[in-house]
Order: sequence, then C-alpha cells, then structure tokens
Amino acid sequence: MHLDPFELHRPSSVDEAVDLARRFEGRCDYLAGGTDLLPNYKMHLNLRPHLIALQDVPELSGRSLDRLGAMERLADLEGDRPLLAAYPPLGDAVAEIATPLVRASGTVGGNLLVETRCFFFNQSHFWRESLGYCLKADGDRCHVVPQKQKCYATFSGDLAPALMAVDAEVELAHSDGRRHLPLGALYDAAGDGIRRLTMRPGELLTGVRLPAATRGQRGTYLKLRVRPSFDFPELGVAASGVLDGERVVRLRVAIGGAEMRPVRHDALTDALVGERLSDDRLRAFAEAVQQATRPVHNTFLLPDYRRRMVSVFVRRAVERLRPGTAG
Amino acid sequence: MPPAPPVNFRLNGQPIEVSAEPARILLDLLRDDLHLTGSKRGCDLGTCGCCTVLVDGRPTLSCLTLAHLVDGREVTTIEGVSPPRGLTPLQRAFVDVGATQCGFCTPGFVVTATALLRDRPHPSRDEIVRAISGNLCRCTGYVKIVEAIERAAAEGG
Repeated sequence: MHLDPFELHRPSSVDEAVDLARRFEGRCDYLAGGTDLLPNYKMHLNLRPHLIALQDVPELSGRSLDRLGAMERLADLEGDRPLLAAYPPLGDAVAEIATPLVRASGTVGGNLLVETRCFFFNQSHFWRESLGYCLKADGDRCHVVPQKQKCYATFSGDLAPALMAVDAEVELAHSDGRRHLPLGALYDAAGDGIRRLTMRPGELLTGVRLPAATRGQRGTYLKLRVRPSFDFPELGVAASGVLDGERVVRLRVAIGGAEMRPVRHDALTDALVGERLSDDRLRAFAEAVQQATRPVHNTFLLPDYRRRMVSVFVRRAVERLRPGTAG
Repeated sequence: MPPAPPVNFRLNGQPIEVSAEPARILLDLLRDDLHLTGSKRGCDLGTCGCCTVLVDGRPTLSCLTLAHLVDGREVTTIEGVSPPRGLTPLQRAFVDVGATQCGFCTPGFVVTATALLRDRPHPSRDEIVRAISGNLCRCTGYVKIVEAIERAAAEGG
C-alpha cells in the first residue's frame, strides 16, 4: 500500500510546530510514532495534505515522576521501573498496548489521541466505498446506529483510563498560548463522535503531568481482548486509590474501550469514600458502573458480553486495591 | 516536477544518499529502490512484523516508517544482520531447529530476536514469547522459533 502524496514538515520546536498547524489549519495532521496515523492513511481515512512530524522537537521528549513528554516511546516507559512503581495502572496499561514492535515506535501522546475505532471505519477504501462510506470518513450515515447523526466509534487507547485514574493532566500548546487540563477533560463529553476532543484546531498535546498526590497509590489496569497481543481493548478498566483497612479513603475508576470516550466514574466512587468496602458494596458499585456503560456493536466482541464484563473487571480491579492483595 | 528530496542515512553500515518523495515508506524504499528484499511486506499495516528492521538498534516496523524520518540514522536490515559469509549463531539455530516453514516471516523474527539477545543475552522463555509477540508466523511454527532463540541464547547468541 502506498501513501498518497503529502508535504512533510519537520519543526524543531513546539512554537514552530503550532505555527505550522495554524498555517495549514484543517489541512494537516501531527505525526508522532505513526503506528495509528499511517495505517489510517494507507486505508485513505481522512487524509491531509500536510504532515507535521514531531520527532525533532526536544520539548516533547523526556520523562520523570512528574511529567511524560508526549513523544516518549511506550517501549521506553515499559522499562522505567521507578515510574511504573509510582503509578501502577500506567505500568499495567503500557505493557498491554499492541505489540513490542508497535510500542517501540508508538508514543504517549499518540496513544492518548488514538483514533476511535469501528468495524465500518477501520477498513480499506474499497471496502468502505462498496458500503457507501460512513459518517466518520467520507459518508453521511452511521452503520452502527443509523437513526443517529453521531459517530459511535470506540475509544481504544489503554493509557487514558490508566492516567485518568491517577489524576493526570495534559499540557496543550496552541499558536495563541498554552494551557493544561485534567486528562478526562480532553475527551469531549458533548461531542458527536466526529468532534471527540476538546482540543482546538492545531492544538498540540505536549506532555502529561503526573501528580505527586497519587504517587505510590495502589492501582491496576485490566484489559479485555481476544488475543493477549496486538488487540485493541474491548474493555479497559483502571482503578487507583487508597484503602485504610476496609475503609475507602480515595478511589478512582476509569473505563476505556467501551464507549466513544474514556469515562471516569467519580460520582459513583465519591459515594464510597469513608465507607467500608464490603463485598456487597463492591458488587453494587461494579454493577452501577456497568449500568452506566453502554457499548455498541462496532468491535469484535458482542456489546452485551463487553457490558457484562464491566462489572466483572471493575470488581477485580478494585479488589486489587485491598491491602495484602497482589497488585 | 522537482526532484524528490534526498535522504541520508547509514544502511547496513554504509552511508547512503537516496531520493525519496515525502510519502515514501521505508519498506518500499528498501525493497523497490534499493532491492533489499529480505524485509518482507506482509500486512503493510504494522500487524505482522515481517518488515522489521533496526533503526538505531531498535526493532522498527519499516512499513510504518517514513523514509525521510530515518535521515541521519542507522538502519540495519536482515541483510545487515547476516555476516558476509555464513550465518549468525541465531540464524544457524533457526536452521538447525527447523524454525522456518514457508520462511516468509523469518527475517522479521531474526531481526527482532537479534535485538532481544543483544539486550538480554539469557532471556527466559516468557521474555522470548513476549519479545516476539509482534511477529506473526502464519505457518504457526512458534514452538520451534522459541526453541531456536533459546538455543542461540544457550550457545551465547
């Protein structure tokens, strides 16, 4: 498969990158590791005539217990034991992403912004053309939920729920200035699935801030998939928190791989703070998360099964926060 | 039409300069322009690992790498992994154990495993399985592939 022609830009600073993005607004993509964007380009999915390659921008690299540069390679995180010990859900998630070869090129920023996925989207141009395309690329209707003008493609990143569970923030740069926001706020709750991020056109994700407050807390990430390698999540559950004996001091649970965006269930977890985490209470909590999660039929496993696995995985993940359990 | 811009990098130890369009993929450059056909085009989407090369020593999917983005870097293909005469101990182990069936995936496995044994000369079986989990063998000959890597490790890589 050959790529259609594009112009390749290689900025050496964030300012230069965002200036290019302003110049080519609506006609460019940022290129990080390329493991998501280039397969999509090969399948003629939402091509842009300008690619802004980020590999020469030093500010996007580097990692510490406080910050991950957006261009940090996933494989490099995997070998960073102090980092992974400090934020256990991150360690679990990173090791489960795709394959070692994909992780060798794939980046932190790329995984947080990975394109949403669907049966009807991640297909060759020929395949999609024969079906009249879809809302997410070239078409005007959704084949999964035809009665809605909305894209239900599934958010399939593993890092996002893991980092949301430890209260990570993202740094964004635009030609007008810089800002940071909680990672969960990056994903647009009011979006139609086509607009699925709260980023402005041309805005660049430069890094992730890791809060000292959650460092060292117990946590885990559990991933449902068919093969233990390569597959995107059919469901991803991250949990992080502190239990004082059986009593909940702090708890975060975030779900990915199930809906259009990763979701953290703060209202449900906040209700548990100060309570004793009995088996019955944990089961009721896990079922409440399941009730709030509504996958559609656009990935390999059936949505009913994925949904039923929500309570199973939430229960397993939260159980690992109990003192004395592994993880 | 202006000529395609140049790309300069080291390929299997030798500096080279080639012309490539910005959208040129490294795998296509290697196979079609430079006639190094050891790296295979399998899925062409990063799923199978048949196209694996080393970029600055790191196993890399050449089907998902723009040729221009290896400018200034060191690229090693299966042709560069192999000595001028004979085989590396790892390649010899693949032959001796019978770890090739149709052979199409073999270059990718050898490149991946070469990097593994360089970084971890005595990997456990689990580490081997994890390291090659991005390489697919459609003949499903994984048992002998793992055995070959284990044998090469036991014999000192």
